[in-house]
Amino acid sequence: MVENKQISVKKKAYVVNDAIAEKIRNTMKTKNKRFFNVMGSIGAGKTLILERIAKRLSPYYKVFVINGDVATTIDADRIAKSGATTVQINTGGGCHLSASLIQKEFDKINIDDYDIFITENVGNLICPAAWDVGAEKNIVVVSITEGEYVIKKHPIIFKGAQIAVINKCDIEGEDFDSKTLVEDASKIKSDMKVICTSAKTKQGIDDLITALGIDIPKRE
Amino acid sequence: MHEYSLASAIVTQIEEIIKKYNVIRVKKIIVSASPYEMVIPDLLQEAYKIITHEMEKFKDSELLMEIKAAEITCIECDYTGEPTEEGDPEFAYNFLCPKCGSRDTHINMKQMIIETVDLELSEE
Repeated sequence: MVENKQISVKKKAYVVNDAIAEKIRNTMKTKNKRFFNVMGSIGAGKTLILERIAKRLSPYYKVFVINGDVATTIDADRIAKSGATTVQINTGGGCHLSASLIQKEFDKINIDDYDIFITENVGNLICPAAWDVGAEKNIVVVSITEGEYVIKKHPIIFKGAQIAVINKCDIEGEDFDSKTLVEDASKIKSDMKVICTSAKTKQGIDDLITALGIDIPKRE
Repeated sequence: MHEYSLASAIVTQIEEIIKKYNVIRVKKIIVSASPYEMVIPDLLQEAYKIITHEMEKFKDSELLMEIKAAEITCIECDYTGEPTEEGDPEFAYNFLCPKCGSRDTHINMKQMIIETVDLELSEE
């Protein structure tokens, strides 16, 4: 005999990922560690910003960076040269990192050996917005070469972020303008911290580190 | 295509649920989400078909997505509930708070719910 039955589920589709993300967040908080998730388009300058941050912080903190890319270890190799410990996740076509992917990497290390953890998410402004990786803050990097409408076109990722980085401000001029992006990032969310940077010239890198709430010890 | 990850998360949960039953096959899964969830229903269904293609208990099953109202939280007055009108013409997701009129609102994402699953059970 065959019986048809409808089961009421009423569970959030993201519940498994979100539970892992919350566990990661709690672990970091309990252990007094910092964990940030950096998102942005391909070519926005995420990797160079992380190289700059790693270089600036490595004399004082143990930094661990997880890079997400479809293929290669190029980004992890680059950032490793700046003093951070790095690991590359190759998603093989996946368009975002997830809490379980991050947890797997954390399971391979001793969290206590590090002070600051940063993920460089897979490069795009859509998919990473939906998948919580357990970070305390989400940072979105856009560059002024992406066009003045890039924030208006991708509101969701900015709604879920605490810091918007407007990068490549060194080429500000006739063809590229940071003004609209700064205004849009401020309008989309009242408590958004907006930082203008040039990873190339290091402009704004210290401001970004300060916005993350990390103390930069004064040089002796 | 993050719909693939989402479809995979749904299938994983359903697999867990059906362990409790003497299931011959899953017939239909209904999920609900607001229009602002960054999910394209057709792509979600495509992904679901790819994932379940060789899963015997999901053979010929379907995943349907129902659209439900969006939910916002107002940063100004803490209102949580449905917005009363469309978003700002300039900033598509800055909805108007029906309580205090502010557009400084947060759209509550990731509210997709797995509502029901229809199963064919063996009574033996």
